[in-house]
Amino acid sequence: MLRATRSELTRLNHRSFRVGWLGLTTLLTAMFTTIIFQAASGGTPIPSSAPGGSFPSLAELTGAHGQVAGLGAAATILGVVTLAYWAIATASDYSTGLIRLLVAAEPHRLRLLAGKVLALTAWTAVAATVATVVTVALSPLVARATDLSTSGWTSNPGEVTALIASTWLNTFLALVVWGVIGLVIALLTRSAAVAISAGVGYVLVVEGAVRLVAADLADRLPGATLTALAGGGSTTLDYGAAIRLGLVYATIGLGVAAIVLARRDVVE
Amino acid sequence: MAVIHTSGLTRRFGSLVAVDALDLHLPAGGVIGLVGPNGSGKSTLIRMLLGLIRPSDGTAEVLGAPITHPARYAARVGALIEGPAFAPNLTARANLRSLALLRGLGATRVDEVLDVVGLLGRDREPVRTFSLGMKQRLGIAAALLPDPELLLLDEPTNGLDPAGIAEIRVLLRTLAAQGRTVVVSSHLLTEIQAACDHVVVITLGTLTFAGPMDELLAETSEHVDVRPEDPADAEALRAVLTRAGWAMTLDGSGLRVDAPADQAPALNRAAAIAGITLSLLIARQETLEDVFLRLTGAADGDLARQRAAQAHPTLPEPQQTHPVEETL
Repeated sequence: MLRATRSELTRLNHRSFRVGWLGLTTLLTAMFTTIIFQAASGGTPIPSSAPGGSFPSLAELTGAHGQVAGLGAAATILGVVTLAYWAIATASDYSTGLIRLLVAAEPHRLRLLAGKVLALTAWTAVAATVATVVTVALSPLVARATDLSTSGWTSNPGEVTALIASTWLNTFLALVVWGVIGLVIALLTRSAAVAISAGVGYVLVVEGAVRLVAADLADRLPGATLTALAGGGSTTLDYGAAIRLGLVYATIGLGVAAIVLARRDVVE
Repeated sequence: MAVIHTSGLTRRFGSLVAVDALDLHLPAGGVIGLVGPNGSGKSTLIRMLLGLIRPSDGTAEVLGAPITHPARYAARVGALIEGPAFAPNLTARANLRSLALLRGLGATRVDEVLDVVGLLGRDREPVRTFSLGMKQRLGIAAALLPDPELLLLDEPTNGLDPAGIAEIRVLLRTLAAQGRTVVVSSHLLTEIQAACDHVVVITLGTLTFAGPMDELLAETSEHVDVRPEDPADAEALRAVLTRAGWAMTLDGSGLRVDAPADQAPALNRAAAIAGITLSLLIARQETLEDVFLRLTGAADGDLARQRAAQAHPTLPEPQQTHPVEETL
């Protein structure tokens, strides 16, 4: 499995992947952080939720965890980015035909899957780190620029460290589950475009539609669950439940991926 | 010892029988050509041997291990399957490095195979900038990575210029001389003829011929094409040559006489005695391509299957056009 992981990391280590994924993560995190603080300072009503995400209130932005509040809001769109890159990394094996060489070289297909998941998880950890650093670094600057008080923010070094660590962990876990969803859709469809379209369409359309008719159910669907997980829990889904549900989604996803990869003929 | 042994190996895709009860026994060593029309099942066979797809029926062994457990021989087999497949944004070296890591091989092996295929010096360029010929070389390099006992190369000379084709031919012979078995599929029958010791012909998923190249070429016939200067003399010429004991067929305005090249002067004399002037007298030897077309019925497998599928709900048993040699 270590061989497969190192092999996958080698294939993922190219400029378009680094610049694309980490660049988008930086850009979107910065954008969401800026928008949220500016909207709050301008008195613009902040929607509590939107398709695929929820936004912190003014009280939360100026509260003890204000310096990381922007990350929770950006988590869903970062999740979609993660889904996209996991899907691209998976589907490109099929579109290039590389899967033929990989399976011929390592017939234990589950090792290939495990290697890919571990390698992408490592990249996701880097992306979560970038997002956390950008949020923590940018939030005080934007708050100052928009005249929002930061006096309520935690300043005790130990608490700040714990806050940043837990924020990173929650973001990372949520992004990994998003990634697994992208991997599964890409394995099923063997197409990055279809996988990304399905992922974005689901977040923007399906969960929103379900929310209109069954709000309780919608709170437990993947998008809402992972948003709650990234934010350390939400008003409708506590942190523990979010972790448990996220684990269920990841387990189901990896199970489906394992069955599909192990049983399906490589005809590309 | 057989490097590849199949017994009743069959693969169906719905109603399509891609490989049909194939019995094959390929001995170790040498270069073995795998030829057949488009859609004849060559690639499906190679994929089954590599564990990429599962057979519908029958059994097969590669290097003595069943294809149901490809992990037992994967480290001893290298393959180029239906053209080179690489991550386009990675350099040639990074692509090979990733495959070497997957096989537990070191960086020195990457250098070695790059050197063998002549890509050292271009190895730090992205594969997307490579010509098809360079990608083919890289594909062969990837196949050589595990220092394989058995090489399965699907169209390895595709996209190469004549010099590159000649180079690959020498490489294949060199690899075989080192004790490896090289199975190479190609549509370039002249290349198969030049490079291979043995040949396997597959038509519509069935084995049409398997044996030494010399044995196949022994089936080629010689003939002499003759054409009278005046097309109106064709029938008279036919009568003269028939009386002299030659068999022939009409070929346009000329005749195709079943005769070896050394009888051309006698043909010329017989025509001259009959007062017929020849405008063409040329001795010809059937090529591997002629034999191939005769064996396979000049069938494009894809089209044949398509027609058969339209005519029947399931494919009929394909007609065997030649006695099958099951063992090389």
